[in-house]
Amino acid sequence: MDFRTLLRDEFVFLDGGMGTMLHLAPGELPERLNLTEPQRVAAIHKAYAEAGSQVVYANTFGANPLKLEGTGVDCTESITAAIRLAKKAVGERACVALDIGPTGQLLQPVGSLTFDAAYEAYKTTCIAGAKAGADLVVIETMSDLLETKAALLAAKENTDLPVIVTMTFTENGRTFTGCPISAMAITLEGLGADAIGMNCSLGPREILPLMRELSGWTTLPLIAKANAGLPDPVTGEYYITPEEFAGFMLAYADCGVQIFGGCCGTTPDFIRAMRKVLSQHHRARRIVKPRPAVCSGTKTVLLDMPRVIGERINPTGKKRMKQALLDMDFDYLRGEAISQTDAGADILDVNVGTPGIDEAAVLPQAVCAILEVTDLPLQLDSSDPAALEAALRVYPGKPIVNSVNGKEESLKTVLPLVKHYGAAIVGLTLDENGIPTASEERFTIGEKILHRAMDLGIKREDVYLDCLTLTASTGANGPTETLTAVRRVHNELGLQTVLGVSNISFGLPNRPLINRNFLCMAMQCGLTLPIMNPMAEGMMDTVRAFRMLAGFDENCNDFITAYQDTAAKPAAAAPQDQGDMTLKGAVAHGLRADAARLTEEALKDHAPLEIVNDMLIPALDEVGADYEKGTLFLPQLIQAATAAQSAFGVLKSHMTAGGEKADKGKIVIATVQGDVHDIGKNIVKLLLENYGYQVIDLGKDVPPQTIVDAAIANQVKLVGLSALMTTTVGAMEETIKLLHEQYPECQTIVGGAVLTEDYAETIHASCYAKDAKATVDFAKTVYGD
Amino acid sequence: MTPEDFERKELLSYLRTPSLDENLSAMLESCLKSLCEVIEPRTIWRVLPVEHTEDGVKLGGFLLGGKDIAKHLTGCSEAVLMAATLSGKVDSMIRRAQLTDMTKALLYDAIAGAAIEHVCEDLTAALRAQLPYEYFTERFSAGYGDFPLTQQADLVKMMDATRKIGLTVTPRMTLLPMKSVTAVIGLSHSPVTDARRYTCGNSCALCPMRDDCAFSLPDQ
Repeated sequence: MDFRTLLRDEFVFLDGGMGTMLHLAPGELPERLNLTEPQRVAAIHKAYAEAGSQVVYANTFGANPLKLEGTGVDCTESITAAIRLAKKAVGERACVALDIGPTGQLLQPVGSLTFDAAYEAYKTTCIAGAKAGADLVVIETMSDLLETKAALLAAKENTDLPVIVTMTFTENGRTFTGCPISAMAITLEGLGADAIGMNCSLGPREILPLMRELSGWTTLPLIAKANAGLPDPVTGEYYITPEEFAGFMLAYADCGVQIFGGCCGTTPDFIRAMRKVLSQHHRARRIVKPRPAVCSGTKTVLLDMPRVIGERINPTGKKRMKQALLDMDFDYLRGEAISQTDAGADILDVNVGTPGIDEAAVLPQAVCAILEVTDLPLQLDSSDPAALEAALRVYPGKPIVNSVNGKEESLKTVLPLVKHYGAAIVGLTLDENGIPTASEERFTIGEKILHRAMDLGIKREDVYLDCLTLTASTGANGPTETLTAVRRVHNELGLQTVLGVSNISFGLPNRPLINRNFLCMAMQCGLTLPIMNPMAEGMMDTVRAFRMLAGFDENCNDFITAYQDTAAKPAAAAPQDQGDMTLKGAVAHGLRADAARLTEEALKDHAPLEIVNDMLIPALDEVGADYEKGTLFLPQLIQAATAAQSAFGVLKSHMTAGGEKADKGKIVIATVQGDVHDIGKNIVKLLLENYGYQVIDLGKDVPPQTIVDAAIANQVKLVGLSALMTTTVGAMEETIKLLHEQYPECQTIVGGAVLTEDYAETIHASCYAKDAKATVDFAKTVYGD
Repeated sequence: MTPEDFERKELLSYLRTPSLDENLSAMLESCLKSLCEVIEPRTIWRVLPVEHTEDGVKLGGFLLGGKDIAKHLTGCSEAVLMAATLSGKVDSMIRRAQLTDMTKALLYDAIAGAAIEHVCEDLTAALRAQLPYEYFTERFSAGYGDFPLTQQADLVKMMDATRKIGLTVTPRMTLLPMKSVTAVIGLSHSPVTDARRYTCGNSCALCPMRDDCAFSLPDQ
């Protein structure tokens, strides 16, 4: 039977619970039964087919190499047996689906599983399923959007089968990992799922309002596969009867659901009851209005008013960012992401293109690093198609690609990527002949890009046009031509419009003034996606005021929220006791703002290294001594360290501008492989940096060889390792062993909750650090004071 | 959860400091407020039969490793297997703060530590009220004594906790979201003798764990 043919029917019926029917004994592995007790599994499929299921899910929910590792069950063998036995059991009465569930592990950056590892696992599953003769692929009970994407891509890229996807939501309309319904819908539709919906977690009563919301976000057929209510915790039993369950399905049909089934606690009787109830019913025709939107894995941004794309993560013209990229200092990128998010950006542009950087390798890493600290959707900005594809793969959600242009080469390489990964695209209105001066020609190129995108199946609302801001100083009509083109694209094509705002003022005095005014004029002409610095003076103010005045801010709520505090405050609160405060005192008392300000002042008379050695370090030493004496505790120590950090921030930008580096020596630090706890390691990093060491932080869950390679590449004298679990100290031992073999002159210092001095000695570490302060003390002995 | 659910003294013990100055106290209050807004406590539990065998104690037919858990469940005919988590948003908040203000990260981490303990305490109280047993042991988790941490994945699987509350385990047995707990609570009709009792930081002087406990308060 062909699943796509089934979809022409009014309703399609799936099966109900498998686990419920298997009555597993403690420790029994469902996927093993395909091989050991095929008749037990087959009987369930048969019962569902007899009850009227048109699709049965093969018993392969957990059949992926990651979940089956160590069980002695081979993934491919189990899947092959599962599909074959199901096909035999149901014959021509029903389609057999390869059932794919979550790996049970969280993907990076939250967990330790890489996207590629998840993809490979699902690829193995999909190939086995297709080969065994599955009629479709079902991806179900998913919580993480990126993991869902890995499974969906694996199915689409390795089989020709239809793929349907259901995720599992809590009553607040989000999955456990925080994915909202809208993000699921727009991402999976973009990636080419054949139908989407919800399963598990909740009963039919609780899922109904969530399905109503989903219905408004997608044109795809909808699937509902609820649990039989909520289970009794003592017995684990479900109490809704088949008739009660089926009774709810009328309301589901009324919100347009086409595909019905059951999850935990449901049985063939539930399928029978649903068929009966729905036999006289029709599903409501859905009218889904296109809603231009982009999303991350945890946040959807609806493009229904001017939305700000933050431009700060881009090395062009920014020495500090360039240096951060060359040093692979992703914390600097994360910091920029956080400040733009806090300043009010809606979307963040990410561009890592600079000489000496392999964009295809770095862009996906930058994307992951940034998404660790912000919910905002990203705009992937590169002219290198390989870099775009690498980032598109690992991006959880629907991003914007910046950009394609009217050149044939660009259209041919970029648009297919955009279609394959379900992204939105920024089209630059230039072509082989460069940037046209006249608005008319820019509009024409824009139209061409739109049509070429739509020819490939990219939706109209996912094409955004950038009519290009040219510097105002180059010609009197420049700004007018740009604005005219924006107005025409907005009015005549109804598309989102993008402009890099600050280009307008290049080479002119009082740039902020020009930028603000141009921004306001452009929004009035229909600019919906300004690319700008949200921290620049007055820019966000202009956007907020515009949104409010143009009627996008109901009851002025957002505007008032943003500014109510400023009204109450005196214009500029003078720092208190300014006269008495010294930099040393500011650090010792943990006053960040004062420390930064006093560092700026000190720079007038002192060299940066003088400030480090004569002011910051003595202050930290004093605090450290009090900490050791027990007169002062960790929160106070860290507070002083953060104040010193803000002083260092000032020094660093000063020194980067002058081409200097604070360098008492390089130290590599990492949390060892398998371990994802890293607050301790990060505290160590903070203190080491305070003392002027250049810390190469490899992050958490770092493989032994990666640490050794970094130590050798940077010729460091000291490597710091942290492990928090008894299960991960083994990786620490392994790392030290490799270091001794490949780079014996390097010393090691280890720390973490489960370590002791004795254990550190056993694994041949050079030093045991009982706390962060001890690491600094040891570093001093290694590098000299 | 709300800020009122937390005793300030208890938070100080998680921060391992006897007191905070005005500045840090204010910061603690503001962190407490922000963190309470993102905590989504989720719990799951099952009552399972306990069977003492020559190899050790079985819970729901599954052999738990080590002698300590067997000792802990002495005299219990059933036990609760439970899991609790604060949700991933708490982890993100702590992670983010590590990049903007490490002091805040430290405060968030301490508050989250106290919060997950509260969630467990609240669940325990509800279980005591609800289950037909007179005696309950303290919570005992994988990693306590010789109860191997490597069984964490099996415990999560037994509760179907990934599907039910979004709790996952890494291959190296770390629970994610990080602020999560799994534990076993013995149920009995006669008095129980806990293998150990982890206490709370309020009565360090009396606590048998005093010398090893990470949370013991400095002498005041």
